[in-house]
Amino acid sequence: MTDRSLLRAIGWYRTPIIAIGLLASLLFFVPFLVVVATSWTSGSFILFPPTGFSLQWYETVLTDRQWLNSFWLSVVVAVISTVAAVLLGTLGALGLTRIRSRALQRWVRTLFIAPIALPPIAYAVGLWSVDRRLPFLDDTLVSLVVGETLLAVPYVFALVSSGLAGTDPSLRPAASTLGASWPMILWRIELPPLLPSILGGALFAFTVVFDEVVLSVLLLPPGTQTLPLKMFTASQEAFSPELTAASTMVSLLAILVLGGAQLASNRRNRAARLRRKASA
Amino acid sequence: MTVALSVQDVHVTLGQNHVLKGVSIDARPGEFVTLLGASGSGKSTLLNVIAGLQGIDRGHVAFDGTNVEKRPPRKRGVGVVFQSYALFPHMTVGENVAFPLRAARRPAAERAKVAREMLELVQLGEMIGRRPAQLSGGQRQRVALARALAANPGILLLDEPMAALDKQLREQMQVEVTRIQRQVGITTVSVTHDQAEAMTMSDRVAVMRDGRFVQIDTPENIYRKPATEYVARFVGEANLFPARGGELLPDGVTDGRTGTAVIRPEDLRVLTGAEPADAWSVSGVVRLLSFQGSRFRLEVVSDTGGRVVCSLPPQTDAGTLLDGNRVRLGCAHPDRVHVIAATANDDAQELVVA
Ligand SMILES: Nc1ncnc2c1ncn2[C@@H]1O[C@H](COP(=O)(O)OP(=O)(O)OP(=O)(O)O)[C@@H](O)[C@H]1O
Ligand SMILES: [Mg+2]
Repeated sequence: MTDRSLLRAIGWYRTPIIAIGLLASLLFFVPFLVVVATSWTSGSFILFPPTGFSLQWYETVLTDRQWLNSFWLSVVVAVISTVAAVLLGTLGALGLTRIRSRALQRWVRTLFIAPIALPPIAYAVGLWSVDRRLPFLDDTLVSLVVGETLLAVPYVFALVSSGLAGTDPSLRPAASTLGASWPMILWRIELPPLLPSILGGALFAFTVVFDEVVLSVLLLPPGTQTLPLKMFTASQEAFSPELTAASTMVSLLAILVLGGAQLASNRRNRAARLRRKASA
Repeated sequence: MTVALSVQDVHVTLGQNHVLKGVSIDARPGEFVTLLGASGSGKSTLLNVIAGLQGIDRGHVAFDGTNVEKRPPRKRGVGVVFQSYALFPHMTVGENVAFPLRAARRPAAERAKVAREMLELVQLGEMIGRRPAQLSGGQRQRVALARALAANPGILLLDEPMAALDKQLREQMQVEVTRIQRQVGITTVSVTHDQAEAMTMSDRVAVMRDGRFVQIDTPENIYRKPATEYVARFVGEANLFPARGGELLPDGVTDGRTGTAVIRPEDLRVLTGAEPADAWSVSGVVRLLSFQGSRFRLEVVSDTGGRVVCSLPPQTDAGTLLDGNRVRLGCAHPDRVHVIAATANDDAQELVVA
């Protein structure tokens, strides 16, 4: 159904729906636009409407060692955790299909999904107390990366599992009767069709980790800050437009990445559609 | 390559279910055997046992006399066509067919050559570059067959290969699969629900029930000389009457403990009254006469309450066979009446006239 015929099918009910939709977008976009606007102020305070126009705060952020360090720290933590979460989540989802007992399957699935439901603060405190017993981890990112990975695994696991649900369960036995060993089955038969789900899961995992604050507060080595943490402290210290400039840049980056992913998947879908049409 | 298959007293338990309860079957090299049986009777499980995808509790599976119970599926040299076809969606048709050679690390040139040959065999040469999603059901099935045969296996297993096809295509593919199987000369075990398919395609049919074989025989013998009432009713339409000492008993005698006679619908005829009075007959009331192109199918409720089905030639005058009319049916081919000895019966309590 096209959007237009959907609208028509809804009839006059659409008025409140559209109103709520508009309101929701307003609630979401207005603060965002305010943030963007305040970031180009030529004054020294976060004020709306902004006074004058300048990019001085962008310059400040981009030349400030602290901001840059926290940005790169966030990138490093997010990349490592995402890679680890993709490995664990994908293997978990694939492993689940190899379990024969239904009851055990349900248990394992719950275990993999559970971290989404746990309050991050409880989890962070738990990890923190383990961390304190292992003094050799004090100056490393290990405990933070481990924690972030566990937070990100459920997203990968869920997406890959749903991707797997759409594939034919007899592919694996078929490949094995055709002479394939298990590494070949994994690499050439099971993983390729799951690639879109894995990439989607990775994108989710990355954004979750990149924006995460609670674990960073407790688990970072002293004297370091991830970007969200730096923003958080900045918002509590001086209410400087540095903060809104940094927020704007991170948001733009996110929009670029998400938009790129969307574009890539659209192009793939269109190519598949064209191929189908050509053969019809 | 073709291989003699031998399955001896195989038992399989899945969860709590004793799924195979001691099945034994042998197939000559090049033979086409069909497993026929109701849903849940264990047909797919037996195929999986032969392919090595399912472990067994006890028993033996041998190829050309060599035990293979311990051999993993990838070393058995068994080609399988799955019910879903299990084509690899991200590979082209050619890559699918060449996959077993890639698994065996054959050079690219050989892979391409075999893929082309196999696709020629199933008459899909020009589809080599397509994806499975761009094929019709019948084409997918032929690709799956080509892929199963590409590595030159010794045994071919087909799990309900026609189930996903419509009736017309199914009949085409039955002919096609039989042609290819004969051409390659490979020992084949096929599974089906469809008795017509079992009859057309097989050298022998093995009727399965509840994890056991009830009868393994040629299609003609399965139809003409069913070993039990279950087989008689499962394959084609059957009229069952009480018998004693190889003779039909007069209608109304329900002494079933001595044996059961099987009379196929086409061996019954409508009596006109001119026959000798001592000939066997059954009388009743017409319930339904339906024209089915090549025959009339006459359904009669006998005086003892049983249902009797009779096939009549299409030129029969239907005027005398209106619903509710009384008729007498006699046996047109007494020599074709098959009597199942009472001891052969697996369900003696059901012996009342069918
Ligand atoms: N994983 C399992 N655990 C327990 N029982 C099972 C399992 N898989 C199958 N069964 C049982 O084994 C029996 C045989 O199954 P199988 O798939 O071999 O039947 P089939 O003859 O191929 O039936 P169909 O014609 O429906 O495909 C069925 O009764 C089924 O319920
Ligand atoms: Mg089955």
